[in-house]
Amino acid sequence: MNAEVRLLGIRQILAQKQLLSGGWPALTLSSQTVLEPTAYSMMALGSDLWDEHKRARRCLVRCQNPNGSWPAFIGDDDEGSWATALALIALRNYSENVPAQLKGFRWLLRSAGKESSLLWRWKFQTADRHARFDPNKFGWPWQPRTNSWVVPTAFAILALNQLSCTCDLEDSEQRIRRGIEMLLDRVCPGGGWNAGNGVVYGGALAPHPDDTAIALLALKNHSDEPVVPKSLEWLEGTATTLSAPWSLAWAVLALAAYSRNVRPLVGFLADLVGHIDIQDTATLAVVALALDFERSLILLAS
Amino acid sequence: MAITRQELLVGGAAIVAGASVTTPFFRPRYRIKRCPARSRVAILHVEDYSRPIDELLFSGLRLFCINVQGKTVLLKPNLVDYIPGTALNTHHQLVVAAAEAFRHLGARNVVVGEGPGHQRDTQLVLSDSGYEGELKLHKIPFVDLNRDELTRTRLAASYTDLQYLWLPRTIFQADFIVSMPKVKTHHWSGVTLSMKNMFGVVPGNKYGWPKNILHWSGIQHSILDVCATVPIHFVIADAVMAMEGNGPLNGSPRPLCTVVLADDPVAADATCARVMGFEPDRIAHIHEASHFLGNSSPALIDQAAEALRVPEVPFQVVPEFRHICAI
Repeated sequence: MNAEVRLLGIRQILAQKQLLSGGWPALTLSSQTVLEPTAYSMMALGSDLWDEHKRARRCLVRCQNPNGSWPAFIGDDDEGSWATALALIALRNYSENVPAQLKGFRWLLRSAGKESSLLWRWKFQTADRHARFDPNKFGWPWQPRTNSWVVPTAFAILALNQLSCTCDLEDSEQRIRRGIEMLLDRVCPGGGWNAGNGVVYGGALAPHPDDTAIALLALKNHSDEPVVPKSLEWLEGTATTLSAPWSLAWAVLALAAYSRNVRPLVGFLADLVGHIDIQDTATLAVVALALDFERSLILLAS
Repeated sequence: MAITRQELLVGGAAIVAGASVTTPFFRPRYRIKRCPARSRVAILHVEDYSRPIDELLFSGLRLFCINVQGKTVLLKPNLVDYIPGTALNTHHQLVVAAAEAFRHLGARNVVVGEGPGHQRDTQLVLSDSGYEGELKLHKIPFVDLNRDELTRTRLAASYTDLQYLWLPRTIFQADFIVSMPKVKTHHWSGVTLSMKNMFGVVPGNKYGWPKNILHWSGIQHSILDVCATVPIHFVIADAVMAMEGNGPLNGSPRPLCTVVLADDPVAADATCARVMGFEPDRIAHIHEASHFLGNSSPALIDQAAEALRVPEVPFQVVPEFRHICAI
């Protein structure tokens, strides 16, 4: 099936899956609003689904925590989660949401991997060297009081890159720089990224297509770093073998961001999703973003 | 010798202070006790994963008093990631065989559920590891526990200071939970067996990939808290092709041609540890779990089917866990 027709179909499905809250559930049969699928779905909706988009925006603003962060799902504890970066990306073009966004950015700048504290840095540099990484290079965790990981760091960088002013957020440049250093530090020996470290107990970990693609999107302004072409090459080689829509969709977005010809992959993705019953809303939304990659890259770009 | 009033007050205060500091160390950290009077374990010889595995498993299950009539059974395999050529995940043929066996035993629903700890793309793990086609063929539903609807759940033990976890509704809808671990060594916890396998019910959507909060809370302690809260009713452990060395991801395959069945997760893990050449009481979570979640002592375990054979050479482990080797 033609990619455009498939895209329209997926957008309609997303509109049907929207919950009364204005958000989206993670899985079809759930009624719990989850932030990750909500942010992707909101970005994936086209301009003809304006009402749904507006409800989604209201949902995001409504569920922001008092400390400026966003929860992983509605009903979650209010200490904040990595989904804060996703909410900020989804809300970026809406001026009425600026106060909420600034609060969110402030929280994001306060959030850091636990290895960033002096005591834990010392521990990871001296007593605990089994996972190979430099704790001076830290990024963002999935949730407070845990280590930095590749995906939350990459999304935090993408969100902070979209700041159009210093907005009393002077630390942002430094945090972006640290986050970039962290991604470069954690790369797998053969290129690409796993969830976190590239080497544990002397053994190289295999890269994941989705983690690699998301890290590459965050490193778009750092294409001169040697690990970037190496990881792109790995992703390009792997993308043609992928049989899962989530990973393939992220690969399309990353390869397109680096001006690779993704048309054949987009065609394959459009066919692939026609044969699978996708229960996972985030996957469906990311597929829609990939099928409409030119528009999506503008949403993700700095 | 007379004691002055002041000495009495100081002495009394010291006793009260001492008691308040030490009491928490002696108070049990669990609120439930599930140790049966006796546990039953069966060790099956299974040469490989080809078709007769369903017959072997079904006859193995009949060695137990299992009542799943009209119940919802949740099979929880260990699906971490997919790395070609490694014995990383519970083999899909064993999971399908288990699903069919429980259906034969009268289960109303059999569901497979897992929340891979490392790989966010669950669909990729399912398709690359052979699960997707087999589950579809046998009409066995799969639930991604990383993305299931969540319920705030008070922990039934307090080895960590977490107090509660958000857990997927599927595990509370199940009447009978079967932990189906891949028998592996683990560089942070020594082994990963039926109890460590339950980390897979902790949802990535809330806690991330990996579920790093469990590492920061102490892996051995987290295993105890999770297993106290989510009961394992039965164990089917895949040691047909096990893993040794730098597990759970980068170890080497080691054939054991064995499937371990048990009606008690502690007895299952103690037996698997012995089959790997380890002393179970030297593995912190198995030792502690034997106080409240099951039996680790051979004196309390009825052994069925094959005899327990301890290997001449124990499974390789990372240096920090050499002390768990029995030899």
